[in-house]
Amino acid sequence: MKKAIPILLMAMAFIACQKDPDLNELSSDLIVYTSHDKGANFGKYATYAIPDSILVLDDKSKPTYFAANDPRTTAILGAINSEMKTRGYSRVYDNADADIGLQVSYVKDTNTIISYASTNPYWWYGYDYYWPGSYWNPYWWGWTPSYTYPISYTYTIGSLIIEIIALEDANPSTKKIPVIWTAYMAGILSNNQLNINRTVTGIYQAFEQSPYLQSNGE
Amino acid sequence: MKKISKILGLSLFISAMCLPLVSNAQLMKGGYFTADWQFNAPVSNDYANVASGWGMAFEGGYYVIPNMSLGLYISYHTNNKYIGEQVLHLSDTESLYTDQQHSLYQVPFGIASRWRFILDEMFEPYIGVKLGAAYTRMESDTQVYTYYHDRWGFNVQPEIGLNFFPMPINRVGIHLALYYSYSTNKSHVLTYNIDGYNNIGFRLGLSF
Repeated sequence: MKKAIPILLMAMAFIACQKDPDLNELSSDLIVYTSHDKGANFGKYATYAIPDSILVLDDKSKPTYFAANDPRTTAILGAINSEMKTRGYSRVYDNADADIGLQVSYVKDTNTIISYASTNPYWWYGYDYYWPGSYWNPYWWGWTPSYTYPISYTYTIGSLIIEIIALEDANPSTKKIPVIWTAYMAGILSNNQLNINRTVTGIYQAFEQSPYLQSNGE
Repeated sequence: MKKISKILGLSLFISAMCLPLVSNAQLMKGGYFTADWQFNAPVSNDYANVASGWGMAFEGGYYVIPNMSLGLYISYHTNNKYIGEQVLHLSDTESLYTDQQHSLYQVPFGIASRWRFILDEMFEPYIGVKLGAAYTRMESDTQVYTYYHDRWGFNVQPEIGLNFFPMPINRVGIHLALYYSYSTNKSHVLTYNIDGYNNIGFRLGLSF
């Protein structure tokens, strides 16, 4: 057995000999992930509501926001509204008139893992509810958004999340509103600050790779 | 560049100083040892099919009969390839936009056998076969995440080679070999699959 130890140590040393690829060669800092509910009929929705501020997810006990007049908010919501309009959705300002709602969240310094499984459905890992302080939080509505499709990802510091919840399909008996689209983009920081140009590029890319987001205008 | 030159110079100097110490005898009578730089090209998959010289190979053995040896081998190699920005459709409902650095890392090791055609001459050609296990890591790096899949499998390597001993009595020479390597490992990363690792390459080094 003792003779095997040097051989095992040597094998482990070889396993550590991998030549790391040159990450500087990666020209794009941006990665964009999108996921959606396969059963959702995006065409049937015509109107949407979106908060005028962006939720900032951090370790603070109280939620913070990019205010409506913050240039970051203006740029991000401007890009989203532009894309939604292009896809045939009309913005409304009364939530009661909206078919779908959008939630925009910026992950500032929280590593949050979301996972969905039949045994542990619906909720952001580590939270009892949807994003605390989100516009669609149960505190505001008494209803809670829930995931209707499998999703598993690790969110890193400095990432942006956009979600669409189907207000029209809210379930009165369970008080749950299905989340039907998630877009996540990372690598949007420059010098630890949100890079607006890269973020907006990520938003356009998220819509670009989601061709099913199209209203029939009914 | 200067640093690399210094390291190369120092390596050559140390090698030159050490050669006389081992040149009077084999490491073990009837035994041999080779240490090679390796140039490897993955074939039959386009995941990281860019040939590279990022690897080494080591083999030691004993001639159980004058022409045939039994021994052990181990080698390691990395092949990398840059993949530009694209949208990967991870499933029916998931898409990922990113560029990537693909990487394949292979560490086969096991039992080696050689048949040499000529003994105790300046040129010693041989054929050989290696059988063993292979550890592989299939990896994709993005700016934010690294995805990888580690697998184990079986490895087989037919090889033809040549030892060149400038002074046959000293048994210190140059080793050159051409090889084909196949491992049964099956790997999956993101939307990419590899069912068996096929490689061709050559090894160049020292033989004792």
